[in-house]
Amino acid sequence: MIPLALALAYAGFTALCLAMERHYGEVFGLRRVPAWRALALRITGWALLALSLPSCVVAREWAMGVVLWCGVLSAAVLPLVLLLPYAPRLAAWLAPALPPIAALLLTLGAR
Amino acid sequence: MRGGFRQSMAWLHTWSGLLVGWVLFAVFLTGTVSYFRPEISLWMRPELHAARDAPEAAENVLRRMQTLAPNSANWIVTLPSARDPVARVFWRDSSAGGSRFRRAILDPATGEDLPARDTLGGDFFYTFHYQLHHVPVLWARWIISFCAMFMLVAILSGIVTHRRIFADFFTFRPRKGQRSWLDGHAVAAMLALPYHLMITYTGIVTLMLMTMPWGVQLAFKGNNQAFTAAVFGLERPPPRSGQAVPLAPIGPMLAEASHHWGGAQPGRITVNNPGDATATVQVFRVDDDRLSVNRQLVTFNGVTGAMISASGGDRPAAETRGVMVGLHRGVFGGGVMRALFFLSGLMGTVMVATGTILWAVKQRQKLGARAGYGTRLVEVLNVAAIGGLPIAMAAYLWANRLLPVAMAQRAEWEVHVFFIAWGVAALHPLLRSHRRAWMEQLGLGALLLLLLPALNAATTHSHLGVTLPAGQWALAGVDLVALALGTALGFAARQVGRAPAEPQRARRAGHRTSPAPAE
Repeated sequence: MIPLALALAYAGFTALCLAMERHYGEVFGLRRVPAWRALALRITGWALLALSLPSCVVAREWAMGVVLWCGVLSAAVLPLVLLLPYAPRLAAWLAPALPPIAALLLTLGAR
Repeated sequence: MRGGFRQSMAWLHTWSGLLVGWVLFAVFLTGTVSYFRPEISLWMRPELHAARDAPEAAENVLRRMQTLAPNSANWIVTLPSARDPVARVFWRDSSAGGSRFRRAILDPATGEDLPARDTLGGDFFYTFHYQLHHVPVLWARWIISFCAMFMLVAILSGIVTHRRIFADFFTFRPRKGQRSWLDGHAVAAMLALPYHLMITYTGIVTLMLMTMPWGVQLAFKGNNQAFTAAVFGLERPPPRSGQAVPLAPIGPMLAEASHHWGGAQPGRITVNNPGDATATVQVFRVDDDRLSVNRQLVTFNGVTGAMISASGGDRPAAETRGVMVGLHRGVFGGGVMRALFFLSGLMGTVMVATGTILWAVKQRQKLGARAGYGTRLVEVLNVAAIGGLPIAMAAYLWANRLLPVAMAQRAEWEVHVFFIAWGVAALHPLLRSHRRAWMEQLGLGALLLLLLPALNAATTHSHLGVTLPAGQWALAGVDLVALALGTALGFAARQVGRAPAEPQRARRAGHRTSPAPAE
C-alpha cells in the first residue's frame, strides 16, 4: 500500500508542477500551457494527492495513516524536484508509469 | 528593522537561524540517526548478533535476576523485541558507586549474561541530540531548548519571508551560485515543512517540564513524586517487610496485561521488592504500536499474581503530551514509517546546513575580499560543523570496531575519538583555504562512511555478505545507510571541487576570492 501511496503522490505533484508555465516549459519546451490543460492538470494533481491519503490510511489506520501521508508527500515530491533540472522528461514520464507499477506490485503481493 | 513587516521577518529569520545554526545542525543530524538507535546499538555490539528472541524470555530473565540481584529494591527488565533481540536489565544496587544502578544484557533463550563490548552504542547520538556531552545535563538541556525555540522562530519567520512559496515550490536551479543555495534551502524547508514544524515544536514539548515547571510546582507544591504518581501512575513502592516470599510466575501476569490492552504486547517489566512479601510487578505496554508514548501499565501483586491496578492512556492532558512526544520519537508504524521520518530529518539537516552556508555565500558575494572576520568565522564554523560532524560520527563507529574489545574504559574512549575527530575537524579549516577545507572534510567523511562496510567485513562476521542474504535488515541497514550518506558526501565534495569552472559568475568575478562550495 505504501509504494502505491508514494506513486500516487509523485504523479499528483508532477501534474500540479506541469500546470505551471515554468515547469511545463522545462518538460515540453513550450512556455505556454493551454488554459484548459492547466486546469485539467491541477484537478488531476489534487485528486491524486487526495487519493494517496486513503492508501496510507489503509496501510496504517487513521492516526498513523495521516502521519504516514505527510511523510509520503515529502518523500514523493523530493525526487521530482531533484530530477526536474537534470532529466525533466524522465521526471514527467515517471508520473503516469509509477502508479500502475505500484498497483501491479500490490496485486502480485496480495496473491 | 526598517522597511516593513516582511523585511523585519527576513532579519529575524537570518539571525535566529544563524546564531544557533551549528547547534541545530548537530541536533538535527544526531537526532535523525537516532530514529535507528536500537539498530545502531546492535550494530555496535557484534557479540549480540547471534542472539534471538525466545518464547519464555521473561521467565528466563526473571529466574536469572533472582541469582544476579536477589536483594535489590527493584529490577527493570526490557523484554526482547523485533528491533532488539536481547533482554536488557538494570537494577538498583547500593554497592554500585555513582549511579547506584547496575546493568546487564541477558540471553532471552537461557537468561545467561551475554558479554558484549563496552560501548554507548546509538544511545550516544540519542542523548547528544538533547543534552550534548561534557556539559552539565541541565545546562545542556536549557541550551538545546533555547536553540529549539530559536528554530521555531526561524521556521515561522522563514515562511513569512519566503515570498513565492507556491510559485517556487518545485524550483531547484543547480549550478547557479547563491541562487542554488537559496533554492536548496527553500526546497529542503518547504517539502518537509509539516515535519520541521512538528519536530521542533514537539522537541520543545519533550523538555517542557524543565522549561516551564510552574504549573507542576503550583499544583503539587513542589512535590515531584506526587506529580509523577498522579500523571504517570508511578507510585513509590512500599518498604521491604523482610519476610521472604517467592515471586509469582510472570507468564500469567503478562497474559493478563496483554488481555487488558486488547492484545497489545508487554515491553517492559519492573519488579519492586523482589522476593519479599511486599513485592509488586508492573507490566508496561510496548510503545511502538500507537502514536502516544504515554505509559500504560498494569500493576500486579508480586506474591499472588493478582492484578492491583491499571493506569495510563485515559488522561487527556497526559495523552496529548504522549502523542506529541510519540510523534517526536517516531517509534511507531514500522520500518517504512521510520525511513520516512529519517528522510524528513535529513531534509531538516540539509535545511539548517544550507541556511548557514547561504549566509556566508551571500556575504562573500556582496563584500568579496572585503568581507571581515565575521564572514570568515561563519565559514570556518560551517566547515567545522557541517563537514566535521559526519567525520566525528563516522570516527565513532570506526573506533567501535578498531579499539581493543578488552580495553579499559572502552566506551569512554569511543566518545573521546568522536570529540578528538571533531576537534581536529574544527581546527583544520583555520589552516586551509575555504574551498580546500570543504573538499578535504567532505571527502574524508565520504571515505570513512564508504569504507565502513569494508571495515565491518574485516572485523566481524555480520557484514553485508551475511546480513543481506539472511534478511537481517537492522544490521544491513546501518551499512547501507553509511554507503548512501558516504555517496552523498562524496558527491558534495566533487561539486565543491568543480565549482570555480562555472561561467555564470563571470560578471562578479572581480569580487570573488573564495568560491562557494557545492554549486
